[in-house]
Amino acid sequence: MDFKAFKQEAAKAAESLGIKEYELYYTSSEDTDISTFRHEINEFSSSVSGGVCFRCIVDGRMGYASTEELSEAEAQSVVRRAKENASVIENDDRQFLTEGGQKYREPESRKYKLPETEELIKKALEGDKKLYEADKQIIDGSAAGTGVTTVRTAIVNSKGLDLSYEASAAYFMADAVVSDGKEMSDAYKMVFGSYDELDIGAAVGEAVEKAKAMLGYDVAPTGSYPVVFAPEAMTSLLSAFSGIFNSENVQKGLSRLKGREGEKIAADCVSLIDDPFYPGNGVNIGFDAEGSPTETKNVIENGVLKTLLYNLKTANIAGVKTTGNAAKAGYAAPVEIRPFTFYLAAGSVSEEELFKNVGEGVYVTSLGGLHAGANAVSGDFSLQSAGFMIEGGVKTKAVKSFTVSGNFYELLKNITALSDTVKLPRPFGITAFGSPAVAVRGLTVAGK
Amino acid sequence: MITREVCERVLRKAASSGADYAEIFAEHTVDHSIKMIADRVDNISDRIIAGAGIRLFKGLRSVAASTTDTTEQGLMRCAQRAADALGQGSAEISIELKERLFGDIHPIKTVPATVSNAEKIRVLKDGYFAAKEFSPEIKQVTGVLLDVDHGILVANSEGLYAEDRQIRTRISINAVAEHNGETQTGFYGPGRRMGMEMFDSEVDARAVGLKAAQQAVTMAAAGYCPAGVMPVAIGNGFGGVIFHEACGHSLEASSVAYGLSQFAGKLGTQIANPKVTAIDDGTIPNAWGSINIDDEGTPAQRKVLIEKGILKTYMVDKFNGRRMGMPSTGSARRQSYGYVTTSRMTNTFIAEGEDNNDDIIASMEYGLYAKEMGGGSVNPATGEFNFAVNEGYIVRNGKICEPVRGASLVGKGSDVIMNIDMVGKNLDLGTGMCGSSSGSIPTTVGQPLIRVSKITVGGR
Repeated sequence: MDFKAFKQEAAKAAESLGIKEYELYYTSSEDTDISTFRHEINEFSSSVSGGVCFRCIVDGRMGYASTEELSEAEAQSVVRRAKENASVIENDDRQFLTEGGQKYREPESRKYKLPETEELIKKALEGDKKLYEADKQIIDGSAAGTGVTTVRTAIVNSKGLDLSYEASAAYFMADAVVSDGKEMSDAYKMVFGSYDELDIGAAVGEAVEKAKAMLGYDVAPTGSYPVVFAPEAMTSLLSAFSGIFNSENVQKGLSRLKGREGEKIAADCVSLIDDPFYPGNGVNIGFDAEGSPTETKNVIENGVLKTLLYNLKTANIAGVKTTGNAAKAGYAAPVEIRPFTFYLAAGSVSEEELFKNVGEGVYVTSLGGLHAGANAVSGDFSLQSAGFMIEGGVKTKAVKSFTVSGNFYELLKNITALSDTVKLPRPFGITAFGSPAVAVRGLTVAGK
Repeated sequence: MITREVCERVLRKAASSGADYAEIFAEHTVDHSIKMIADRVDNISDRIIAGAGIRLFKGLRSVAASTTDTTEQGLMRCAQRAADALGQGSAEISIELKERLFGDIHPIKTVPATVSNAEKIRVLKDGYFAAKEFSPEIKQVTGVLLDVDHGILVANSEGLYAEDRQIRTRISINAVAEHNGETQTGFYGPGRRMGMEMFDSEVDARAVGLKAAQQAVTMAAAGYCPAGVMPVAIGNGFGGVIFHEACGHSLEASSVAYGLSQFAGKLGTQIANPKVTAIDDGTIPNAWGSINIDDEGTPAQRKVLIEKGILKTYMVDKFNGRRMGMPSTGSARRQSYGYVTTSRMTNTFIAEGEDNNDDIIASMEYGLYAKEMGGGSVNPATGEFNFAVNEGYIVRNGKICEPVRGASLVGKGSDVIMNIDMVGKNLDLGTGMCGSSSGSIPTTVGQPLIRVSKITVGGR
């Protein structure tokens, strides 16, 4: 059965169990992915996935249950299970469902043209050819990938809310593996958008250049240096620590920003913006996972913490209005809080000028192991890094296999300058992170 | 789940455009978790995951398609999509499925769905409040009790029709401690391929909470770990994550088949210190990463990957095995039907050695004792890895001294595995989730206490 029929069955079941307040949240995604190996299509996959989450308020407590099986029996089962689950919940914070009939800002529609499978295959093979032609050091294992991704979400509830959106895009990915006979190095670049506009030449060029730059690398010397984070590295850090701005974490003591709204928490040059309508992101959305209208806001403005990110429940506890940041990590997940396009605002200098100002230091282009090496509660991080030395004010030799350690709360205060161009390394998703290059004073580098 | 007759018709449709191998993987999973925070039951996630994935091989090409619609019509549409992607043609292949029972080497005494929420909450609270009441410095605790009942069916054009039911239970406690304005966390999360009887015989919920809380309190009072290259002793159990990342991923066929591994082409050669013997064993009864059959229907195996430093075998799935000319080693795994199966680890560990644990610490003039490790990651092509140290201590003149926080270990797998120069005698296993192209799957890591003669320690 489809979602519409499932919804009706669930409504009937809710009524018969005396459930007055409930919501259904539906997600369905379709993905096609194609990849090459040695000039041939090696893997093709086409997946359809998704499901429905039913949640309801019973005696003031919120219960959840989900399923991927859309059948009459499952519609009755989720309703019964959600009610049962609500009965053992001890969280007595006031729970909310959104009334229908609110006004939402309509995002600028982005109708990306999606290709047929044959076209995708052609583009993947074309990308593969370009990769091998791009450089003599390219070796087997280099791959081109193409695909399309479509996500549909709908939220309906017992209070007349009925919202839905759909986003889709095509992508191209170049995965370059190079070897100088001794060492191997790899790097990839992914571009999203309308199929016709995917710049595969640029993606191939960037992947190959990045992979080659790391051949014949050195290990950075141990010490304390100023560090310039490339946008790709800074967005990794920002994504690992974005939870510190989540009001639920703050209320539960999992962030050190408790009671800091209105205070200075970062250097004057730092502004951090959350924008659900950011033009550079392929997904723009006018409502959040609770159906509240979304809005653009400065989270940090010239170093001052202006607001945390709220949903209905946490806003009620804090006595403020929701910022429209309710989010779910998948259809079955509870309602949490996440930013949309979350980015550090651009500064005024070029990357070259950042290097010049730093003089002697390290330029970090990528950070690894963020799920382990970054502690979102304490703010401490110690991360595997790769990049280049900055010597005499210019970018010099490649360095790898070293760590950069610090504390994110301190780092925000120690930012000395930001470059003039914001980049989104992955510009397609309800949540996406962006940053210019960022210079930070005094971080510890452990290498040789 | 899906009858033999339906599977036969779907496989015939799937193979109709010339595939030389066709496979259906179907699943019905009940995924249930209870979360506590701020001393209250905060949320229950209660989820049915159901769907099917069809895979086709033709030579060295693979096509995969998945669907949430497991009616015969839905499966037929999915089979058609896969067949169309593989090519044109109207091949007729005869498929006759024979049901196989591999048996269950992981007995389950209490299926989670038969235990009430109230009973599960009682166990979770034991662990939760053991952590919360450990010290006034403990400011927050998060506790999760997870149980998964993962039913799978695999049918393929070789005639296999087999089912398996994989039940797992895990409790994890995360404690936050504050000391003089500094905040640190402690974590412990043991799990087994068992039902709720895990708490009778294997895991004491209170001990889990205490261990997490103790770690948080110790680390909150610790200074930063100094940075530099030094010898490191890595504790038993979850410390085995070092082998998992630094070496294990590079031994998976998904990297090796494409030459994208630091250990491709190295079978029979010495890749590790002669002190190192490493094993991947999916057959350990009721271990967290154990299986009866893998997600291609191959029975679980015990494989010696490295014997006294010599590389003996890789971990191979059917598709990548074709390119390598190697049979499956029972290593094919996927998170669920929507992911494309590839070679993965099960329970992977460094075997016990001959060094006395006391001698290992005593041998270190100055270095780090990484008692508890956090997670890590690796680039299998180059072997560059990193791990977080959750609980570390400085070793001075052969004695374990003050605790240090914020340490990480980085290096290259092929170097570090050569530098494991002492291996102790207290083998233990640790519970983890491993993420890769075929999704997040339960894996066990393990080792006795080991010494790495030198490794880069990230600190400040």
